[in-house]
Amino acid sequence: MTPNAASSSGPSRRGFLTSTAAATAAVAVGSPLLAACGGGGQEGRKEGTTSGKEAAKILPAFVASSVVTPDIPAKNGSAVGFTRAIPTAELKTSVPKTPGSGGKLKIMSPFWGTPPKGDNPYYTAMNKAVGVDVTWQNQDGVTYDQKLGAVLASSEIPDVVVVPGWNLMGRIPSAINAKFADLGPYLSGDKVKDYPNLAAVPTEAWQRGIFGGRLRGIPMPAPYVTDIAPLYRKDLFAKKGYTVPGSPDEFLAWAKEATDAKSKLWACDDMKWTAFNVFGVLSGGDKALWWNLEGDKLVNRVETEQYLEALEWTRKLYAAGVVHPDAVQGKAGGDAGNRFTAGEVLVYNQNVSDWWGKTAEQRTQNADFEMEAFDYFGPDGGDPTLWAVQPANIFTFVSNKASEQQVKDFLALCNFCAAPYGTKEFMLTAYGVEGTDYTVEKGLPVKTQQGVNEVNGAYDYTGNPAPYIAYPDLPEITKGMVEWQQRMGAFTKKSSFFGLTVTEPARWSNLADDFEQLEDDVVRGRKKISDVQQAVSDWRSRGGDGLRDWYRKLLDDNGSAD
Amino acid sequence: MSHSTVPRGTTEAQTSPQDDGGTTGTTKGPAPSGKGGRGPRAKKAGRLAFRIRWRRDRALILMTVPALLLVLVFNYVPILGNVVAFQDYDPYLSENGFVAIFESPWTGFEQFERIFADSAFWHAVRNTFVLFLLQLVLYFPVPILLALLINSVVRPRVRAVAQAVMYLPHFFSWVLVVTVFMQIFGGAGIIAQTLRRHGYEGFDLMTNPEIFKYLVTAETVWKDAGWGIIVFLAALSSVSNDLYEAAAMDGAGRWRRMWHVTLPALRPVVALLLVLRVGDALTVGFEQLLLQRQAVGVDASEVLDTYVWWNGIRNQDFSYAAAAGLVKGVVGLGLVLTANKVAHLMGEQGVYKK
Repeated sequence: MTPNAASSSGPSRRGFLTSTAAATAAVAVGSPLLAACGGGGQEGRKEGTTSGKEAAKILPAFVASSVVTPDIPAKNGSAVGFTRAIPTAELKTSVPKTPGSGGKLKIMSPFWGTPPKGDNPYYTAMNKAVGVDVTWQNQDGVTYDQKLGAVLASSEIPDVVVVPGWNLMGRIPSAINAKFADLGPYLSGDKVKDYPNLAAVPTEAWQRGIFGGRLRGIPMPAPYVTDIAPLYRKDLFAKKGYTVPGSPDEFLAWAKEATDAKSKLWACDDMKWTAFNVFGVLSGGDKALWWNLEGDKLVNRVETEQYLEALEWTRKLYAAGVVHPDAVQGKAGGDAGNRFTAGEVLVYNQNVSDWWGKTAEQRTQNADFEMEAFDYFGPDGGDPTLWAVQPANIFTFVSNKASEQQVKDFLALCNFCAAPYGTKEFMLTAYGVEGTDYTVEKGLPVKTQQGVNEVNGAYDYTGNPAPYIAYPDLPEITKGMVEWQQRMGAFTKKSSFFGLTVTEPARWSNLADDFEQLEDDVVRGRKKISDVQQAVSDWRSRGGDGLRDWYRKLLDDNGSAD
Repeated sequence: MSHSTVPRGTTEAQTSPQDDGGTTGTTKGPAPSGKGGRGPRAKKAGRLAFRIRWRRDRALILMTVPALLLVLVFNYVPILGNVVAFQDYDPYLSENGFVAIFESPWTGFEQFERIFADSAFWHAVRNTFVLFLLQLVLYFPVPILLALLINSVVRPRVRAVAQAVMYLPHFFSWVLVVTVFMQIFGGAGIIAQTLRRHGYEGFDLMTNPEIFKYLVTAETVWKDAGWGIIVFLAALSSVSNDLYEAAAMDGAGRWRRMWHVTLPALRPVVALLLVLRVGDALTVGFEQLLLQRQAVGVDASEVLDTYVWWNGIRNQDFSYAAAAGLVKGVVGLGLVLTANKVAHLMGEQGVYKK
């Protein structure tokens, strides 16, 4: 590195003219200017991860809370299940007095669906109970990544920002390290005991909240069992006498038989996500999970045989014409869930929570509707190999410009929302105001139409207890979901960087962005498997191998999360 | 036949003196209301007395100020942001994205080198030009034809209804347009399902990358061709009826009248729009293509605008995207200058004159 290039990093860069001169000089001698600026020594842009002893210093203490004993305890990384409703009179109190200071907080959050009006009874009741005047800035969840980048680049960052893990692309992780406050001084170690409900959040979820060496994010704890489930129409399967296929080949054979395009019936929707699980492909959610130590070498998911096999099988489904034509169109084709409930497809894959969501939605519209998740099978019909997903993948941050009082109000809000099942706080957060948003019928809380519209989306990410599934009005579904997680959890392995939040170096952070498009092209027969192999070798030479060494060093220096 | 020869002679005799009067009046005829005499001197006086002109046009100038300000703030100031194309810009480096421009390191032409070495960029350029040429041939003439058609309808009510029906799709969003096409031509659309019910093989026009460019053009025609006729209708309405009557008197049939009267009247407008269209050649639709990206894949659907969006907004590679946008702007400027020159050579006004 030349002295010229070195001088262009650091404080001298502030001067417009000097930096131009330095850049011109640097370009003239052809030095790697980019490399010079990567390090920078700015605390805010810290790359890498934090684990082991370093993490132990900043992680909050864990104090279990047991208000209601779960009807189904957690096992194999599953959520806990609550199948019984708790009568209003027996609800416990976990937050004894109004915790907030009465201050104001602006919260930007993704919202899937139509956000309610800002002054609805649910928000008002929440504000009153928490003692914080929250103004919601609900943004469309589907295009949240586009909005997020612009908001973080502006000087008007809302006090609190919710960031889903799948939006942590490109430079967003470094933006988070630069723009959001360190919560360590309020939560590390025993300090969290001021917020008992947050103290009951599992440590592995907190570990995910460490961004750039500091505890910045309030995590939404999640089961580490894969969240994607293959869901099928149990009622239609029974009507036609089908049994659930037990291997990829069986599935293909069944799909060909079941597809009847003439009567607008296709066997399945896009099954790519299912294929990844069936063939044991490393998890595709969080970038760090793409890597796993195999033997003595770190291997990326796109380099594996399983990846190609999964794509090839999905391609066969498309080629056989058993996939709904609208699914071929991707996003423009509309929502897969609607095709499923309309009976145009028999199988689709989605977050396992759709099992409850669609059942609850269809209960009033189609009395015969019945669905279920089926168990993953391995490539040969035996046991599958599943890879764990991150134990928290949605985070809530508070701006580093917020006052101390605002941070405390924010934590009070999170502590309130993290109240476990069986508390008054939980009922208010999850069901809203009794009599307005829900009514109790035969001992079961049932949301009114107003409740369905308003108690939905907001307060979902600002603090949560350990993973739970609680649908007392549909106890069978609750049981089915938890047990599915437990069965799948038995086959689930953790890859090398499980549980860690990794900030990749900016120069490589876009490297793998286009694989998803390529996958979609391959399964639809527009590109070949050999194109994937070509893309992988391009990826290696454009920085994939460098990234491998970088991750290797991270592993050697930090160890894994466990 | 013999009847028509007589009027022809008379009309010629009547119109030619008028024409002469029109063109020569200013040079040798007596100046009507002193206008002619003012010509040369007014020009000189205008140059000198800015104050007088200001006093005269003050109100008009003041009225344009708000619009000028808007243009300045939203069209010209952002141009300065293009400097990030010469940087490794990171909007999160400092307090806000604007200040970050001053703190991001300069990299000279590195982003441009990256772009020119990127096969995906050239692919997007190729797709853009293919789509542009296709739309020029298949889309551009449609509004003209429609305008002629509407213009030939005499009954006002039929005309109004036809116009309204043609304008309507312009107000639909692209999501709706794509959905309508999907419901008709998609793999589970009306046509495919009807075919299947009658024992034929269904088809799917929406996911075929080979014909995607025609599909996109068809969608554009359906959505915007009706709207495009407005300009041409305006041009047509300014054609004096005398000319048609005169041509009819001379025995010109429908086709001859269109060829010799209507089309020459439209020529300047067509030339103008053509020049503008060529200048816009690299803008072939954004939302429409982005929406159908997954349906046909990147190879068929990536154009310059979606490429810039994908790299800039999706991947947050702002400098790279800015550089690609800059290249697009420069090429577009070159195209519009060339097209304007060609228009001048053909004797048309084009967008501007020297």
